[in-house]
Amino acid sequence: MIIETKEVAALPNTIIVQLSGELDFECITQISDLFIQIEKSDKNFAIVDLTAVSLISSAVLGELMGGRKRLIEKGGDLVLAGLKMDIRTKLGLMGATKIFRIFSDIRSALNSYKWENGSHPEQVKISFPSNLNIVPPVRQLVSRITKQKGYGNRDSFRIETIVDEVCNNAVEHGKQGDDQRINLQLQIDPDKVEIDVVNTSDPDKVESLKTLLHPHEIGEIKAEEKRGRGLALIKMLSDELSVNCSESGTSVHVKKKREE
Amino acid sequence: MNIRFPYKVELSFPGDLEYIPSIRKFVSEVLLVSQFSPKFAYRSEIIVDEICNNAVNYGSQADDARIELVCEIFEDRIEFTIKDQGGSKDHLERLQSVLQNDSNEEKSHNGLGLEIVRMLSESLNVVIDDKHLTSVHIVRKREDKTQSS
Amino acid sequence: MESQIELVYEDIRGHGHAKLIKFIGDLDATNVETVLEKVCNLFNDGIYTIIADFKKLRYVNSTGLGILLHFSKSAREKGGCFKIANINENVYEIIEIIGATSLLEIYDELSEAIAALE
Repeated sequence: MIIETKEVAALPNTIIVQLSGELDFECITQISDLFIQIEKSDKNFAIVDLTAVSLISSAVLGELMGGRKRLIEKGGDLVLAGLKMDIRTKLGLMGATKIFRIFSDIRSALNSYKWENGSHPEQVKISFPSNLNIVPPVRQLVSRITKQKGYGNRDSFRIETIVDEVCNNAVEHGKQGDDQRINLQLQIDPDKVEIDVVNTSDPDKVESLKTLLHPHEIGEIKAEEKRGRGLALIKMLSDELSVNCSESGTSVHVKKKREE
Repeated sequence: MNIRFPYKVELSFPGDLEYIPSIRKFVSEVLLVSQFSPKFAYRSEIIVDEICNNAVNYGSQADDARIELVCEIFEDRIEFTIKDQGGSKDHLERLQSVLQNDSNEEKSHNGLGLEIVRMLSESLNVVIDDKHLTSVHIVRKREDKTQSS
Repeated sequence: MESQIELVYEDIRGHGHAKLIKFIGDLDATNVETVLEKVCNLFNDGIYTIIADFKKLRYVNSTGLGILLHFSKSAREKGGCFKIANINENVYEIIEIIGATSLLEIYDELSEAIAALE
Protein backbone atom coordinates (compact mmCIF):
# COMPACT_ATOMS: atom_id res chain seq x y z
CA MET A 1 0.00 0.00 0.00
CA ILE A 2 1.06 3.54 -0.71
CA ILE A 3 -0.34 6.63 0.96
CA GLU A 4 0.01 10.12 -0.47
CA THR A 5 -1.65 13.29 0.73
CA LYS A 6 -2.37 16.49 -1.11
CA GLU A 7 -3.59 19.87 -0.06
CA VAL A 8 -6.17 21.92 -1.92
CA ALA A 9 -5.16 25.54 -2.46
CA ALA A 10 -8.68 26.91 -2.58
CA LEU A 11 -9.84 24.93 0.48
CA PRO A 12 -7.29 25.08 3.28
CA ASN A 13 -9.35 22.81 5.55
CA THR A 14 -9.38 20.02 2.99
CA ILE A 15 -6.96 17.15 2.52
CA ILE A 16 -6.89 14.55 -0.23
CA VAL A 17 -5.65 11.12 0.84
CA GLN A 18 -4.61 8.92 -2.07
CA LEU A 19 -4.38 5.25 -1.24
CA SER A 20 -3.15 2.67 -3.69
CA GLY A 21 -2.47 -1.03 -3.87
CA GLU A 22 -3.89 -3.62 -1.53
CA LEU A 23 -5.38 -2.32 1.67
CA ASP A 24 -5.11 -5.27 4.01
CA PHE A 25 -4.66 -5.58 7.76
CA GLU A 26 -0.95 -4.67 7.48
CA CYS A 27 -1.92 -1.11 6.55
CA ILE A 28 -4.04 -0.44 9.59
CA THR A 29 -1.35 1.21 11.67
CA GLN A 30 -0.26 3.56 8.90
CA ILE A 31 -3.81 4.59 8.12
CA SER A 32 -4.67 5.01 11.77
CA ASP A 33 -1.60 7.20 12.35
CA LEU A 34 -2.50 9.34 9.38
CA PHE A 35 -5.98 10.02 10.72
CA ILE A 36 -4.62 10.87 14.13
CA GLN A 37 -2.36 13.43 12.45
CA ILE A 38 -5.26 14.82 10.44
CA GLU A 39 -7.37 15.09 13.57
CA LYS A 40 -4.68 17.20 15.22
CA SER A 41 -4.28 19.42 12.15
CA ASP A 42 -6.47 22.24 10.89
CA LYS A 43 -8.10 19.94 8.34
CA ASN A 44 -11.62 18.69 8.83
CA PHE A 45 -12.61 17.50 5.37
CA ALA A 46 -10.89 14.51 3.82
CA ILE A 47 -11.39 12.99 0.39
CA VAL A 48 -10.04 9.47 0.29
CA ASP A 49 -9.14 8.59 -3.29
CA LEU A 50 -9.41 4.86 -3.88
CA THR A 51 -8.88 4.93 -7.66
CA ALA A 52 -5.68 2.91 -7.46
CA VAL A 53 -6.87 0.47 -4.81
CA SER A 54 -7.18 -3.14 -5.84
CA LEU A 55 -8.29 -4.66 -2.56
CA ILE A 56 -9.81 -3.35 0.64
CA SER A 57 -10.27 -5.32 3.82
CA SER A 58 -12.94 -4.77 6.42
CA ALA A 59 -10.26 -3.85 8.97
CA VAL A 60 -9.12 -0.95 6.80
CA LEU A 61 -12.71 0.05 6.25
CA GLY A 62 -13.05 0.19 10.01
CA GLU A 63 -10.11 2.59 10.17
CA LEU A 64 -11.73 4.80 7.53
CA MET A 65 -14.93 4.83 9.54
CA GLY A 66 -12.94 5.80 12.60
CA GLY A 67 -11.25 8.57 10.65
CA ARG A 68 -14.62 9.83 9.49
CA LYS A 69 -15.97 9.86 13.02
CA ARG A 70 -13.06 12.01 14.17
CA LEU A 71 -13.61 14.50 11.36
CA ILE A 72 -17.34 14.69 11.96
CA GLU A 73 -16.57 15.60 15.57
CA LYS A 74 -14.56 18.50 14.14
CA GLY A 75 -17.55 19.60 12.10
CA GLY A 76 -16.28 18.04 8.89
CA ASP A 77 -16.56 14.79 6.96
CA LEU A 78 -14.67 12.07 5.14
CA VAL A 79 -15.83 10.97 1.72
CA LEU A 80 -14.65 8.35 -0.75
CA ALA A 81 -13.83 8.92 -4.41
CA GLY A 82 -12.78 7.02 -7.50
CA LEU A 83 -14.00 3.54 -6.63
CA LYS A 84 -13.70 0.90 -9.31
CA MET A 85 -16.83 -1.16 -9.75
CA ASP A 86 -15.44 -4.24 -8.00
CA ILE A 87 -14.32 -2.23 -4.98
CA ARG A 88 -17.64 -0.43 -4.86
CA THR A 89 -19.52 -3.69 -4.98
CA LYS A 90 -17.35 -5.03 -2.16
CA LEU A 91 -17.90 -1.89 -0.09
CA GLY A 92 -21.61 -2.26 -0.75
CA LEU A 93 -21.51 -5.78 0.61
CA MET A 94 -19.73 -4.50 3.71
CA GLY A 95 -22.43 -1.88 4.23
CA ALA A 96 -20.02 0.99 3.67
CA THR A 97 -22.08 2.68 1.01
CA LYS A 98 -24.77 3.44 3.58
CA ILE A 99 -22.21 5.27 5.71
CA PHE A 100 -19.88 7.11 3.36
CA ARG A 101 -20.75 9.53 0.61
CA ILE A 102 -19.12 8.25 -2.55
CA PHE A 103 -18.08 10.35 -5.55
CA SER A 104 -16.91 9.27 -8.97
CA ASP A 105 -13.74 11.33 -8.68
CA ILE A 106 -11.91 13.87 -6.51
CA ARG A 107 -13.21 16.82 -8.45
CA SER A 108 -16.87 15.87 -7.99
CA ALA A 109 -16.20 15.52 -4.27
CA LEU A 110 -14.53 18.94 -4.16
CA ASN A 111 -17.28 20.57 -6.21
CA SER A 112 -19.94 19.12 -3.96
CA TYR A 113 -18.11 20.32 -0.86
CA LYS A 114 -17.55 23.79 -2.29
CA TRP A 115 -21.21 24.02 -3.24
CA GLU A 116 -22.40 23.10 0.23
CA ASN A 117 -19.90 25.11 2.19
CA GLY A 118 -19.41 28.53 0.85
CA SER A 119 -20.28 30.87 -1.90
CA HIS A 120 -18.66 29.29 -4.91
CA PRO A 121 -21.09 30.21 -7.64
CA GLU A 122 -21.10 28.21 -10.84
CA GLN A 123 -21.54 29.69 -14.27
CA VAL A 124 -23.08 28.46 -17.47
CA LYS A 125 -22.96 30.50 -20.65
CA ILE A 126 -25.09 30.00 -23.73
CA SER A 127 -24.77 31.84 -27.01
CA PHE A 128 -27.56 31.29 -29.52
CA PRO A 129 -29.17 32.84 -32.61
CA SER A 130 -31.83 35.45 -32.05
CA ASN A 131 -34.86 33.32 -32.91
CA LEU A 132 -37.95 32.52 -30.86
CA ASN A 133 -37.81 28.82 -31.68
CA ILE A 134 -34.66 28.31 -29.72
CA VAL A 135 -35.94 29.96 -26.56
CA PRO A 136 -37.83 26.90 -25.22
CA PRO A 137 -34.73 24.67 -25.23
CA VAL A 138 -32.77 27.49 -23.56
CA ARG A 139 -35.28 28.00 -20.78
CA GLN A 140 -35.59 24.27 -20.23
CA LEU A 141 -31.81 23.99 -20.00
CA VAL A 142 -31.77 26.62 -17.27
CA SER A 143 -34.66 24.94 -15.48
CA ARG A 144 -32.92 21.55 -15.52
CA ILE A 145 -29.73 23.09 -14.20
CA THR A 146 -31.50 24.77 -11.31
CA LYS A 147 -33.26 21.51 -10.41
CA GLN A 148 -30.04 19.57 -10.72
CA LYS A 149 -28.45 22.00 -8.24
CA GLY A 150 -31.26 21.31 -5.78
CA TYR A 151 -33.68 24.17 -6.39
CA GLY A 152 -37.34 23.21 -5.91
CA ASN A 153 -39.93 22.93 -8.66
CA ARG A 154 -41.56 26.26 -7.89
CA ASP A 155 -38.30 28.22 -7.92
CA SER A 156 -37.16 26.41 -11.08
CA PHE A 157 -40.44 27.20 -12.79
CA ARG A 158 -40.20 30.88 -11.91
CA ILE A 159 -36.61 31.04 -13.11
CA GLU A 160 -37.66 29.33 -16.33
CA THR A 161 -40.37 31.96 -16.81
CA ILE A 162 -37.85 34.74 -16.22
CA VAL A 163 -35.50 33.29 -18.83
CA ASP A 164 -38.38 32.88 -21.27
CA GLU A 165 -39.56 36.47 -20.94
CA VAL A 166 -36.08 37.99 -21.04
CA CYS A 167 -35.04 35.98 -24.09
CA ASN A 168 -38.32 36.57 -25.93
CA ASN A 169 -37.88 40.29 -25.35
CA ALA A 170 -34.33 40.14 -26.66
CA VAL A 171 -35.51 38.39 -29.82
CA GLU A 172 -38.55 40.57 -30.42
CA HIS A 173 -37.09 43.94 -29.57
CA GLY A 174 -33.44 43.45 -30.46
CA LYS A 175 -31.82 43.91 -33.82
CA GLN A 176 -33.44 41.57 -36.33
CA GLY A 177 -31.58 39.24 -38.64
CA ASP A 178 -30.48 35.61 -38.80
CA ASP A 179 -26.96 36.53 -37.84
CA GLN A 180 -27.95 38.25 -34.60
CA ARG A 181 -26.99 36.48 -31.42
CA ILE A 182 -28.08 36.44 -27.82
CA ASN A 183 -25.70 35.70 -24.96
CA LEU A 184 -27.06 34.36 -21.71
CA GLN A 185 -25.04 33.84 -18.55
CA LEU A 186 -26.43 31.92 -15.62
CA GLN A 187 -24.63 32.26 -12.31
CA ILE A 188 -25.95 29.95 -9.61
CA ASP A 189 -25.12 29.35 -5.98
CA PRO A 190 -27.09 27.68 -3.18
CA ASP A 191 -28.91 30.95 -2.37
CA LYS A 192 -29.66 32.67 -5.64
CA VAL A 193 -29.39 32.80 -9.39
CA GLU A 194 -28.24 35.71 -11.48
CA ILE A 195 -29.15 35.82 -15.12
CA ASP A 196 -27.56 38.18 -17.61
CA VAL A 197 -28.81 38.41 -21.17
CA VAL A 198 -27.09 40.57 -23.75
CA ASN A 199 -28.15 41.22 -27.31
CA THR A 200 -27.63 43.78 -30.04
CA SER A 201 -30.05 46.70 -29.91
CA ASP A 202 -32.34 47.60 -32.76
CA PRO A 203 -31.17 51.13 -33.56
CA ASP A 204 -34.74 52.19 -34.41
CA LYS A 205 -36.06 51.07 -31.07
CA VAL A 206 -33.41 52.30 -28.67
CA GLU A 207 -35.09 55.57 -27.77
CA SER A 208 -38.55 54.10 -27.23
CA LEU A 209 -37.12 51.22 -25.22
CA LYS A 210 -35.19 53.64 -23.01
CA THR A 211 -38.48 55.32 -22.15
CA LEU A 212 -40.26 52.05 -21.50
CA LEU A 213 -37.44 50.83 -19.35
CA HIS A 214 -37.35 53.84 -17.08
CA PRO A 215 -36.76 52.22 -13.68
CA HIS A 216 -39.86 53.64 -12.05
CA GLU A 217 -42.12 52.52 -14.81
CA ILE A 218 -41.35 48.83 -14.88
CA GLY A 219 -43.94 47.16 -12.73
CA GLU A 220 -46.42 49.96 -13.07
CA ILE A 221 -47.44 48.69 -16.45
CA LYS A 222 -50.97 47.43 -16.48
CA ALA A 223 -51.96 43.99 -17.73
CA GLU A 224 -54.00 45.42 -20.60
CA GLU A 225 -51.08 47.39 -21.98
CA LYS A 226 -49.63 46.01 -25.17
CA ARG A 227 -46.01 46.44 -24.27
CA GLY A 228 -44.07 45.81 -21.14
CA ARG A 229 -46.08 42.93 -19.66
CA GLY A 230 -43.12 40.63 -19.93
CA LEU A 231 -40.91 43.01 -17.99
CA ALA A 232 -43.59 43.53 -15.37
CA LEU A 233 -43.82 39.77 -14.94
CA ILE A 234 -40.05 39.42 -14.63
CA LYS A 235 -40.00 42.16 -12.03
CA MET A 236 -42.70 40.42 -10.01
CA LEU A 237 -40.87 37.10 -10.08
CA SER A 238 -37.41 38.39 -9.29
CA ASP A 239 -35.60 40.22 -6.52
CA GLU A 240 -33.58 42.53 -8.70
CA LEU A 241 -33.99 43.64 -12.27
CA SER A 242 -31.98 46.12 -14.22
CA VAL A 243 -32.04 46.86 -17.90
CA ASN A 244 -29.57 48.86 -19.85
CA CYS A 245 -30.38 49.82 -23.38
CA SER A 246 -28.02 51.78 -25.58
CA GLU A 247 -26.89 51.89 -29.17
CA SER A 248 -24.11 49.45 -28.37
CA GLY A 249 -26.37 46.79 -26.93
CA THR A 250 -29.10 45.84 -24.53
CA SER A 251 -28.36 43.99 -21.35
CA VAL A 252 -30.73 42.64 -18.77
CA HIS A 253 -29.64 41.58 -15.31
CA VAL A 254 -31.98 39.57 -13.09
CA LYS A 255 -31.36 38.25 -9.62
CA LYS A 256 -33.66 35.76 -8.00
CA LYS A 257 -33.18 34.39 -4.49
CA ARG A 258 -33.93 30.81 -3.71
CA GLU A 259 -37.12 30.43 -1.71
CA GLU A 260 -37.65 26.69 -1.36
CA MET B 1 -39.95 31.42 -38.22
CA ASN B 2 -37.51 28.56 -38.57
CA ILE B 3 -33.89 29.24 -37.81
CA ARG B 4 -31.94 29.56 -41.00
CA PHE B 5 -29.04 27.15 -41.55
CA PRO B 6 -26.21 27.13 -40.74
CA TYR B 7 -26.31 28.41 -37.19
CA LYS B 8 -24.25 27.93 -34.07
CA VAL B 9 -25.08 27.31 -30.48
CA GLU B 10 -22.22 27.69 -28.02
CA LEU B 11 -22.12 26.46 -24.45
CA SER B 12 -19.64 26.91 -21.66
CA PHE B 13 -20.08 25.01 -18.41
CA PRO B 14 -18.11 23.69 -15.41
CA GLY B 15 -16.17 20.49 -15.96
CA ASP B 16 -18.45 18.40 -13.80
CA LEU B 17 -20.46 15.34 -14.86
CA GLU B 18 -23.64 16.66 -13.27
CA TYR B 19 -24.13 19.27 -16.00
CA ILE B 20 -24.01 16.79 -18.82
CA PRO B 21 -27.60 15.47 -18.75
CA SER B 22 -28.98 19.00 -19.10
CA ILE B 23 -26.52 19.84 -21.88
CA ARG B 24 -27.23 16.72 -23.91
CA LYS B 25 -30.99 17.19 -23.65
CA PHE B 26 -30.60 20.80 -24.75
CA VAL B 27 -28.75 19.74 -27.89
CA SER B 28 -31.42 17.14 -28.65
CA GLU B 29 -34.19 19.72 -28.26
CA VAL B 30 -32.40 22.23 -30.47
CA LEU B 31 -32.14 19.61 -33.21
CA LEU B 32 -35.83 18.72 -32.92
CA VAL B 33 -36.69 22.40 -33.25
CA SER B 34 -34.75 22.39 -36.52
CA GLN B 35 -36.76 19.46 -37.84
CA PHE B 36 -34.12 16.79 -37.44
CA SER B 37 -35.67 13.40 -36.73
CA PRO B 38 -36.08 12.10 -33.17
CA LYS B 39 -33.61 9.36 -34.01
CA PHE B 40 -31.01 11.85 -35.18
CA ALA B 41 -31.59 13.90 -32.07
CA TYR B 42 -31.17 10.82 -29.86
CA ARG B 43 -27.93 9.77 -31.55
CA SER B 44 -26.59 13.30 -31.24
CA GLU B 45 -27.53 13.25 -27.58
CA ILE B 46 -25.40 10.15 -27.15
CA ILE B 47 -22.47 11.78 -28.97
CA VAL B 48 -22.65 14.90 -26.80
CA ASP B 49 -22.92 12.76 -23.66
CA GLU B 50 -19.90 10.65 -24.50
CA ILE B 51 -17.64 13.51 -25.62
CA CYS B 52 -18.55 15.62 -22.60
CA ASN B 53 -17.90 12.68 -20.27
CA ASN B 54 -14.49 12.28 -21.88
CA ALA B 55 -13.71 15.96 -21.55
CA VAL B 56 -14.59 15.86 -17.85
CA ASN B 57 -12.74 12.62 -17.16
CA TYR B 58 -9.66 13.16 -19.32
CA GLY B 59 -9.45 16.92 -19.62
CA SER B 60 -8.20 19.47 -17.16
CA GLN B 61 -8.62 18.35 -13.57
CA ALA B 62 -8.27 21.89 -12.22
CA ASP B 63 -10.94 22.95 -9.72
CA ASP B 64 -12.20 25.64 -12.05
CA ALA B 65 -12.02 23.57 -15.24
CA ARG B 66 -14.58 24.46 -17.84
CA ILE B 67 -15.83 22.77 -20.98
CA GLU B 68 -16.75 24.57 -24.19
CA LEU B 69 -19.11 22.94 -26.63
CA VAL B 70 -19.93 24.43 -30.00
CA CYS B 71 -22.73 22.90 -32.07
CA GLU B 72 -22.87 24.05 -35.64
CA ILE B 73 -26.13 23.04 -37.25
CA PHE B 74 -26.25 22.75 -41.02
CA GLU B 75 -29.15 21.67 -43.13
CA ASP B 76 -27.61 18.26 -43.72
CA ARG B 77 -25.43 17.69 -40.67
CA ILE B 78 -24.31 18.74 -37.24
CA GLU B 79 -20.75 19.46 -36.23
CA PHE B 80 -19.61 19.40 -32.64
CA THR B 81 -16.44 20.94 -31.35
CA ILE B 82 -15.63 20.37 -27.74
CA LYS B 83 -12.73 22.05 -26.00
CA ASP B 84 -11.23 21.74 -22.60
CA GLN B 85 -8.07 23.09 -21.05
CA GLY B 86 -6.37 19.77 -21.38
CA GLY B 87 -5.23 17.20 -18.90
CA SER B 88 -1.93 16.07 -17.50
CA LYS B 89 0.50 14.20 -19.73
CA ASP B 90 -0.72 10.84 -18.36
CA HIS B 91 -4.31 11.72 -19.10
CA LEU B 92 -3.49 12.84 -22.62
CA GLU B 93 -1.45 9.75 -23.39
CA ARG B 94 -4.28 7.61 -22.19
CA LEU B 95 -6.79 9.54 -24.31
CA GLN B 96 -4.61 9.19 -27.38
CA SER B 97 -4.18 5.48 -26.83
CA VAL B 98 -7.93 5.05 -26.46
CA LEU B 99 -8.50 7.07 -29.63
CA GLN B 100 -5.97 5.03 -31.56
CA ASN B 101 -7.70 1.95 -30.27
CA ASP B 102 -4.45 0.30 -29.27
CA SER B 103 -5.15 -0.07 -25.59
CA ASN B 104 -4.65 -3.64 -24.49
CA GLU B 105 -6.56 -3.34 -21.28
CA GLU B 106 -10.20 -4.30 -21.19
CA LYS B 107 -12.07 -1.34 -22.58
CA SER B 108 -13.06 0.96 -19.80
CA HIS B 109 -16.38 2.65 -20.20
CA ASN B 110 -14.55 5.60 -21.70
CA GLY B 111 -13.10 3.41 -24.41
CA LEU B 112 -16.64 2.24 -25.08
CA GLY B 113 -17.82 5.82 -25.21
CA LEU B 114 -15.47 6.91 -27.96
CA GLU B 115 -16.20 3.72 -29.84
CA ILE B 116 -19.86 4.66 -29.86
CA VAL B 117 -19.03 8.19 -31.01
CA ARG B 118 -16.87 6.81 -33.80
CA MET B 119 -19.67 4.54 -34.97
CA LEU B 120 -22.26 7.31 -34.89
CA SER B 121 -20.19 9.92 -36.73
CA GLU B 122 -18.79 10.51 -40.15
CA SER B 123 -15.57 11.93 -38.79
CA LEU B 124 -13.85 12.41 -35.46
CA ASN B 125 -10.71 14.53 -35.11
CA VAL B 126 -8.76 15.27 -31.99
CA VAL B 127 -6.27 18.09 -31.71
CA ILE B 128 -4.03 18.46 -28.69
CA ASP B 129 -1.83 21.51 -28.78
CA ASP B 130 1.33 22.57 -26.93
CA LYS B 131 -0.64 23.93 -24.01
CA HIS B 132 -2.43 20.58 -23.69
CA LEU B 133 -5.69 22.13 -24.83
CA THR B 134 -7.85 19.41 -26.26
CA SER B 135 -10.27 19.96 -29.06
CA VAL B 136 -12.47 17.21 -30.49
CA HIS B 137 -14.36 17.78 -33.69
CA ILE B 138 -17.15 15.47 -34.80
CA VAL B 139 -19.38 15.50 -37.84
CA ARG B 140 -22.64 13.63 -38.03
CA LYS B 141 -24.68 13.69 -41.22
CA ARG B 142 -28.42 13.81 -41.38
CA GLU B 143 -29.89 10.55 -42.58
CA ASP B 144 -31.37 10.39 -46.08
CA LYS B 145 -35.13 10.42 -46.09
CA THR B 146 -34.88 7.06 -47.83
CA GLN B 147 -33.05 5.56 -44.86
CA SER B 148 -34.95 4.61 -41.74
CA SER B 149 -35.21 7.65 -39.54
CA MET C 1 -27.43 15.94 -8.51
CA GLU C 2 -28.06 13.21 -11.00
CA SER C 3 -30.23 12.37 -13.98
CA GLN C 4 -33.59 11.03 -12.96
CA ILE C 5 -33.78 7.26 -12.71
CA GLU C 6 -36.20 5.14 -10.77
CA LEU C 7 -36.04 1.43 -10.06
CA VAL C 8 -39.27 -0.32 -9.25
CA TYR C 9 -39.07 -3.84 -7.84
CA GLU C 10 -41.56 -6.63 -8.26
CA ASP C 11 -41.61 -10.28 -7.33
CA ILE C 12 -41.75 -12.88 -10.08
CA ARG C 13 -44.42 -15.46 -9.46
CA GLY C 14 -43.05 -18.94 -9.11
CA HIS C 15 -39.50 -17.70 -8.64
CA GLY C 16 -38.98 -16.83 -5.02
CA HIS C 17 -35.29 -16.05 -5.38
CA ALA C 18 -35.69 -13.76 -8.37
CA LYS C 19 -36.65 -10.12 -8.77
CA LEU C 20 -38.08 -8.01 -11.56
CA ILE C 21 -36.65 -4.50 -11.76
CA LYS C 22 -38.39 -1.86 -13.86
CA PHE C 23 -35.96 0.84 -14.95
CA ILE C 24 -37.58 4.23 -15.50
CA GLY C 25 -35.76 7.26 -16.90
CA ASP C 26 -32.20 7.77 -18.17
CA LEU C 27 -29.13 5.75 -17.16
CA ASP C 28 -25.93 7.74 -17.54
CA ALA C 29 -22.68 8.65 -15.82
CA THR C 30 -24.43 10.77 -13.20
CA ASN C 31 -26.56 8.02 -11.74
CA VAL C 32 -24.77 4.70 -12.43
CA GLU C 33 -23.43 4.68 -8.90
CA THR C 34 -26.92 4.90 -7.40
CA VAL C 35 -28.12 2.08 -9.63
CA LEU C 36 -25.00 0.05 -8.86
CA GLU C 37 -25.67 0.38 -5.17
CA LYS C 38 -29.33 -0.60 -5.48
CA VAL C 39 -28.60 -3.74 -7.48
CA CYS C 40 -25.71 -4.61 -5.14
CA ASN C 41 -28.21 -4.47 -2.30
CA LEU C 42 -30.16 -7.21 -4.05
CA PHE C 43 -26.99 -9.25 -4.45
CA ASN C 44 -26.37 -8.72 -0.72
CA ASP C 45 -29.77 -10.18 -0.01
CA GLY C 46 -28.83 -13.29 -1.97
CA ILE C 47 -30.85 -12.42 -5.06
CA TYR C 48 -28.80 -13.14 -8.15
CA THR C 49 -31.59 -13.88 -10.58
CA ILE C 50 -32.77 -10.60 -11.98
CA ILE C 51 -34.95 -9.57 -14.87
CA ALA C 52 -34.71 -5.95 -15.97
CA ASP C 53 -37.71 -4.41 -17.72
CA PHE C 54 -36.46 -1.58 -19.92
CA LYS C 55 -39.82 -0.51 -21.29
CA LYS C 56 -39.56 2.91 -19.66
CA LEU C 57 -35.81 3.26 -19.92
CA ARG C 58 -35.43 6.04 -22.47
CA TYR C 59 -31.67 6.41 -22.61
CA VAL C 60 -28.43 4.57 -21.84
CA ASN C 61 -24.89 5.76 -22.47
CA SER C 62 -21.62 3.83 -22.42
CA THR C 63 -21.24 4.23 -18.66
CA GLY C 64 -24.69 2.78 -18.17
CA LEU C 65 -23.84 -0.08 -20.51
CA GLY C 66 -20.73 -0.70 -18.46
CA ILE C 67 -22.71 -1.41 -15.33
CA LEU C 68 -25.23 -3.56 -17.18
CA LEU C 69 -22.32 -5.71 -18.33
CA HIS C 70 -21.00 -5.73 -14.77
CA PHE C 71 -24.38 -6.88 -13.40
CA SER C 72 -24.54 -9.61 -15.98
CA LYS C 73 -21.06 -10.84 -15.13
CA SER C 74 -21.56 -10.64 -11.35
CA ALA C 75 -24.90 -12.41 -11.44
CA ARG C 76 -23.54 -15.21 -13.60
CA GLU C 77 -20.53 -15.68 -11.32
CA LYS C 78 -22.95 -16.33 -8.47
CA GLY C 79 -24.95 -18.83 -10.50
CA GLY C 80 -27.69 -16.36 -11.38
CA CYS C 81 -28.49 -14.16 -14.36
CA PHE C 82 -29.36 -10.61 -15.41
CA LYS C 83 -31.89 -10.77 -18.23
CA ILE C 84 -33.15 -7.70 -20.05
CA ALA C 85 -36.49 -7.29 -21.82
CA ASN C 86 -38.43 -4.55 -23.67
CA ILE C 87 -35.40 -2.58 -24.84
CA ASN C 88 -36.43 0.34 -27.04
CA GLU C 89 -35.02 0.81 -30.50
CA ASN C 90 -32.66 3.64 -29.62
CA VAL C 91 -31.14 1.93 -26.62
CA TYR C 92 -30.80 -1.33 -28.54
CA GLU C 93 -28.91 0.39 -31.31
CA ILE C 94 -26.29 1.64 -28.87
CA ILE C 95 -25.88 -1.83 -27.34
CA GLU C 96 -25.55 -3.22 -30.86
CA ILE C 97 -22.96 -0.64 -31.89
CA ILE C 98 -20.55 -1.67 -29.18
CA GLY C 99 -21.16 -5.32 -29.87
CA ALA C 100 -22.69 -6.08 -26.50
CA THR C 101 -25.80 -7.84 -27.80
CA SER C 102 -24.03 -11.18 -27.45
CA LEU C 103 -22.75 -10.34 -23.99
CA LEU C 104 -26.15 -9.53 -22.51
CA GLU C 105 -29.20 -11.77 -22.24
CA ILE C 106 -31.74 -9.80 -24.23
CA TYR C 107 -35.40 -10.71 -24.82
CA ASP C 108 -38.04 -8.90 -26.85
CA GLU C 109 -40.81 -9.57 -24.35
CA LEU C 110 -40.88 -9.80 -20.60
CA SER C 111 -42.79 -13.08 -20.80
CA GLU C 112 -39.95 -14.63 -22.79
CA ALA C 113 -37.39 -13.57 -20.21
CA ILE C 114 -39.47 -15.05 -17.40
CA ALA C 115 -40.05 -18.27 -19.32
CA ALA C 116 -36.31 -18.57 -19.82
CA LEU C 117 -35.85 -18.75 -16.07
CA GLU C 118 -37.10 -22.35 -16.14
